Amino acid sequence: MSVFVEVDHVDRVFSLPNGAEYIALKNIELKIRKGEFVSLVGHSGCGKSTLLNIVAGLDNPTTGGVVLEGRQVTQPGPDRMVVFQNYSLLPWLTVRQNIALAVNRVMRQRPKAERISIVEQHVDLVGLRHAADKRPGQISGGMKQRVAIARALAIRPKLLLLDEPFGALDALTRGGLQEQLMRICDESQVTCIMVTHDVDEALLLSDRIVMLTNGPEAHIGQIVDVPFARPRSRMEVVNHPNYYGIRNEIVYFLNQQKRAKARKLKPMVAVSGNGLEKVNLEIGFVPLTDCAPLVVAKEKGFFEKHGLTEITLSREPSWKAIAEGVYGKRLDAAQMVAGMPLGLTLGMSGRAPIPVVSALTLSRNGNAITFDRDIFDAGVRSLADFQALIRRTPDRVHTLGIVHPASMQNLLLRYWLASGGIDPDQDVSLTVIPPPQMLANLTANTIDGYCVGEPWNSRAVQEGRGVVMETDLDLWAGHPEKVLGVREDWANQYPQTHLALVKALLEACEYCDDRRNREEILQLLCQPEYVGVDPDYMRPGFIDAYDRGNGEDPLTLLNYNQFYVNKTNCPDRVEALWTLIQMARWGIVSFPRNWIEVLDRTQRIDVFGQAARDLGLLDIGRDRGAISLFDGSIFNPDDPIHYLNSIAIKRDVRIEEIPLDALATV
Amino acid sequence: MQTLNSTSLQTANPAPKPHLKPDPYLVIENLSKVYPSPNGSYTVLENVNLTVREGEFICLIGHSGCGKSTLLDMVSGFRKPSQGEVRLQSKRITQPGPDRMVVFQNYSLLPWKTAFENVYLGVKSVYPEKSKAEKEAIARDHLALVGLTEAADKKPKELSGGMKQRVSIARALALRPQVLILDEPFGALDPITREELQEELLKIWTAHRVTVLMITHDIDEALFLSDRIVMMTNGPAARIGEILDVPFPRPRSRTSLVESPEYYNLRNEALDFLYRRFAHEE
Repeated sequence: MSVFVEVDHVDRVFSLPNGAEYIALKNIELKIRKGEFVSLVGHSGCGKSTLLNIVAGLDNPTTGGVVLEGRQVTQPGPDRMVVFQNYSLLPWLTVRQNIALAVNRVMRQRPKAERISIVEQHVDLVGLRHAADKRPGQISGGMKQRVAIARALAIRPKLLLLDEPFGALDALTRGGLQEQLMRICDESQVTCIMVTHDVDEALLLSDRIVMLTNGPEAHIGQIVDVPFARPRSRMEVVNHPNYYGIRNEIVYFLNQQKRAKARKLKPMVAVSGNGLEKVNLEIGFVPLTDCAPLVVAKEKGFFEKHGLTEITLSREPSWKAIAEGVYGKRLDAAQMVAGMPLGLTLGMSGRAPIPVVSALTLSRNGNAITFDRDIFDAGVRSLADFQALIRRTPDRVHTLGIVHPASMQNLLLRYWLASGGIDPDQDVSLTVIPPPQMLANLTANTIDGYCVGEPWNSRAVQEGRGVVMETDLDLWAGHPEKVLGVREDWANQYPQTHLALVKALLEACEYCDDRRNREEILQLLCQPEYVGVDPDYMRPGFIDAYDRGNGEDPLTLLNYNQFYVNKTNCPDRVEALWTLIQMARWGIVSFPRNWIEVLDRTQRIDVFGQAARDLGLLDIGRDRGAISLFDGSIFNPDDPIHYLNSIAIKRDVRIEEIPLDALATV
Repeated sequence: MQTLNSTSLQTANPAPKPHLKPDPYLVIENLSKVYPSPNGSYTVLENVNLTVREGEFICLIGHSGCGKSTLLDMVSGFRKPSQGEVRLQSKRITQPGPDRMVVFQNYSLLPWKTAFENVYLGVKSVYPEKSKAEKEAIARDHLALVGLTEAADKKPKELSGGMKQRVSIARALALRPQVLILDEPFGALDPITREELQEELLKIWTAHRVTVLMITHDIDEALFLSDRIVMMTNGPAARIGEILDVPFPRPRSRTSLVESPEYYNLRNEALDFLYRRFAHEE
């Protein structure tokens, strides 16, 4: 990537009248490519405008600097034009004269005819030919802002800086202008940085959205890539299967910041007590049937019993939010998809590796692969039928939803497709969508199917939108599904708390697998602060027989939601190895040459054993042995690299030493 | 890439709304508004029909200049229809009255009076027969309702935009109107304050059971608040283009809304109406 603008370690500190200092921005680093459109979002007072002003040269950083095409920015210049919310037009000049003023000033040396032509060209660019001779007082707010944009672009800046350009306009007028701005940027190929707090605006216009945390010491909290192809149209963008997923991610970030602001950004101080280092824990979960152990531990007093008296269960919108929360220490612990501790430890999706450990498997099974009813009605009953359908319709892309790259839903769906000769990256398109939005996307026909936990399969069946092709019992009965994940440094800092947490959840898991408790648990799960859906969507598989929606009688599935029986809970190195290999197979992580060390570090069988013994429960894990899957293949844990090499459909597998000790100090 | 067509969401049976009574309450019938202009007459609204039930929350959405405010002005009685009529409980509306209170975007508070005095002023003029103590109690109760007990003695310039809008809402509700008319009440507020006030408005509406007509430009706001969204076509001669039934059960929470598949269908339907079928060019 060639860097066009570089914001390099920028801090901005203001001195206050009382001699104190206010650190507005802290360590901002951002690289922007030529032609890129980047939005800055965050709450009022987070320093977005300060940052924009620093890039414009209207303000200087206290430390660090901004480099534009290799030259440091120290003062304002015509290569960086700013458009403000209040238009800043001269009220006594016409539209044309306002634009001409800037052109005549900056392009003095050019011939007059050329300057006139540039002015006229920009009057047309923003569609104001009919109003060229009007004064600002005679035109609408939206038109005024178009004049301001034309004036800025007419002097051919390298960088267009927009500070809430449409903030003063109503939401619908804003919408029309956004589309015009998008067209103008496409035509002029100018690089843009825009400050906004309109999430839809940012999504429509940007290549990347940079989210700033609240001040003081505001920093970049998260950067989201906006994957929609250009040229874009609003309706195409909102109908993209990822649109609402990304939108909710940003809204969630802003809500997190809002809450942080509400509690005055009190750093999470550990409250110790009951012989534990920390009793106030924030634990993340995703609203799905299998969050039951966390809900039961809270509602039935298991946390309390083990001294964890201040537990907050934080309902998270996606697995990505869970990963971010644990990674950024907002969450003490979380329910995670099975591959997530390994993925985070090995640095998946380009993040710095951070060791995350698991001492408890919370559930097994509970997923299904659901296809759109239309595909079923077109005669697809099996994987082979699906492959035939793909072959019959080479010009149609079949898109399937997964919940997270490190999830069993992804790994099992990929395994299933590959077993039928379908390359999950070449022959279909897989896209990450948070569980609660799967059905919405299926209904809107932006995806053709998905692999997800309940209640999202049964709900699709009951609403007549989908048919279950396979449950995970058909693929790998008893696979690990959700695990408890904490950062390794957290586990080391709070060992007694960690142990108490595992004990409380282990007892909750036992409670969940007593069928007599299921009706009560169902009522708990249906509360709005937990899963919050109609109980009918959750009953199949959890209590009642499971209806696949294919016209056959519902079947009683034993252990579709398994929480305790058959040695559910002890972390298992062989299963973790299978997960690790599958993630390496699809290029999600590199396969660590030191895989034995990686598994020992991440699978805290010792903590599980201690917890089980303290509770008088069985402390041994599953028998070490080969795993057999539906396709008849046997997974031999003793020679993983040979296994990886023997698979036909896979990506370029990277095998490398991952030095974990160096990581522990991060 | 498909877009939703207008028929895909028309449900045969709109969701049951237990808070609504079945009979028509506010009826807008064959309503048109025509202004004379130098080049002949200018029709703002043409043949608008809408029946609102008691306790219903209606949002009106449309591009600027579509005549939404003109429509509400004829409900509040500030303007007279050129044709047709508006009836509240079968009585024809001919002039403004305390049974229909309006809250504007710009708050319209008297700057030299405190929050309490602004609310009290309306109470005094509508309830001349009540004792001073009774009138003061009404004003105080309604300030408490919007969470402004502490700020009762502050003047508008000492209040934030959100607080000012709360005073306007308290002032309107203190008169116990049958219909509350809100003309883009939260348009000038920042997104966080806007969400907070939306939630408060819902609480108050639930407690008061007042019928609400509200203009907004914000689709998410309309989906969160209303029972039905009335979408207007562009003027001149604007009319009701489409009505979206918003089926989410109450009380509503933002979280459960965004997890509902229906939310996205409705949102996209509204976007499609406003940005494709009735896109607005200046």
